[in-house]
Amino acid sequence: MESDSWLAVLRIGLGLQVLLYALSLRNDWNYLFAGTGGGMKGRALSEALLSSQSPLVPRLDWLVTIGSAAGLSEQGVLLLSWCSLLCGAAGLLAGFFLRSSAIIAWFIHLCVAKSGGLVAYGVDNFMTIGLFYLMWSPLPDRWSLDWRRGEKAQAKDSRLSGFFRRVLQIHLCIIYLTSGIAKCLGSGWWNGSNLWRALTHPPFDVLPPEVLVHGEFFFPLAGALICLLEASYPFLVWSRRTRLPVLLAICLMHLMIGLGMGMYLFALIMIVLNLAAFGPEFSFRLERIVFAWLRKSPASTG
Amino acid sequence: MRETVLTPKARIYLAWFLLHCLLIITISSREIFWLIAHRLTILPTSFSSTARKLDSIASTTLAQNLASSNPVRRGLLAYLHVTGIERGYGYFAPNVPGSYKLVFELHYPDGTVEYELPEVRSTAAELRLASLLDEIGRTRYDALREYLVKTLAGPVWREHPEAKTIRAIFGLRNFPDIHEFQRGARESYEFLYAYDFSLGKDPPQTKTP
Repeated sequence: MESDSWLAVLRIGLGLQVLLYALSLRNDWNYLFAGTGGGMKGRALSEALLSSQSPLVPRLDWLVTIGSAAGLSEQGVLLLSWCSLLCGAAGLLAGFFLRSSAIIAWFIHLCVAKSGGLVAYGVDNFMTIGLFYLMWSPLPDRWSLDWRRGEKAQAKDSRLSGFFRRVLQIHLCIIYLTSGIAKCLGSGWWNGSNLWRALTHPPFDVLPPEVLVHGEFFFPLAGALICLLEASYPFLVWSRRTRLPVLLAICLMHLMIGLGMGMYLFALIMIVLNLAAFGPEFSFRLERIVFAWLRKSPASTG
Repeated sequence: MRETVLTPKARIYLAWFLLHCLLIITISSREIFWLIAHRLTILPTSFSSTARKLDSIASTTLAQNLASSNPVRRGLLAYLHVTGIERGYGYFAPNVPGSYKLVFELHYPDGTVEYELPEVRSTAAELRLASLLDEIGRTRYDALREYLVKTLAGPVWREHPEAKTIRAIFGLRNFPDIHEFQRGARESYEFLYAYDFSLGKDPPQTKTP
């Protein structure tokens, strides 16, 4: 039987991610996503490109059109979108109206990410991936408010929960395998120059190069380790013996990317997806180990 | 031997799972084939023709060879976007690209000149601005580049309405490698393009090195 702990990790993690995403962009929301009035007005081009590819992809223009029919200005719709994202995040964090919250968070974020396609980066893709799987997963999980409200009957298809977890696990394996192979094919990852470049190029230059320069011998080693870790992830993460070290190493890598390159949101979403996919059993195993150790220890026996 | 019977619902999930994984693998591997085909990797150049063929197979799988108005292609593209799997995962690979800089030179009627950078208020938005600058630097289409520069010039002009003309100077930031840095080398700037915008109806003038 598949536990639904992974779903709780994914839900809370994505709730936090969406919340931080919205809060971090609050001052630049109009600048980045407005089509008229203030800001870059860059939305029109992204949406035109999107329309030429497929008219079925959600975008902010849909919401603006609906809003204008209801007498709302574009600024009003953008503000409403931002507030809806916050509400979706709050719902996910608390586990309240979970399905609706997940759908709202996925849809609004998707509209924003697609309309702001020119200013999007990796974090948007990973948020869409996570929210898409969450939206289709059997909700609520047992740590949510919805569960306490009694919405248990429809939720407990553990095989379906396991199915979506397996999809997320396999997806992560493909991500790391291809990312690892692509890095292995670049000479700069073996001699450390790519790591130096990544850490010194704006806007990732959080640490001053005068400090980084002392890590001359560290860069080639760290670069090679990143390549090998990513490429070997899909082979090592399934085995119970190697899963914990691999998971810890990959989370540590993302933490370092977050702190060392200022990519906090990117680091958070990757850690959340990893912990949801491969994490929960470890927490339970750790608990069992701790309990077993406590039972054996003299203090508890005495 | 007990036979496992799949319910119709389970069959649908299984079919979706197989299709979904096929798409993820195709998109991710196509990016790698593209890198090899364009000789951007450490692999010998003899691999590039095979990679080109594989890239073409991957494109066919993704319905890329169909007309852009074809409903299958459009439907598939929409699915890729809504699931977040429309692009590969080769971040910072095979090598870390350079970064770009855009500077606005504001000319006032009294002859004064001021310099401004595209400005956002948060680190999160800074990362997004860097994505846009990368897009401007990467594109091969002059009209698109000019349009994108203009989108960034707009807010600067609104903040400085008294400026007569604005020159947008776009360039590549070159950073020394670790050994050059140790020898005292520092960041340098390589001019790529310049655009002149005025409040009049004249089209912008473009300058390249």
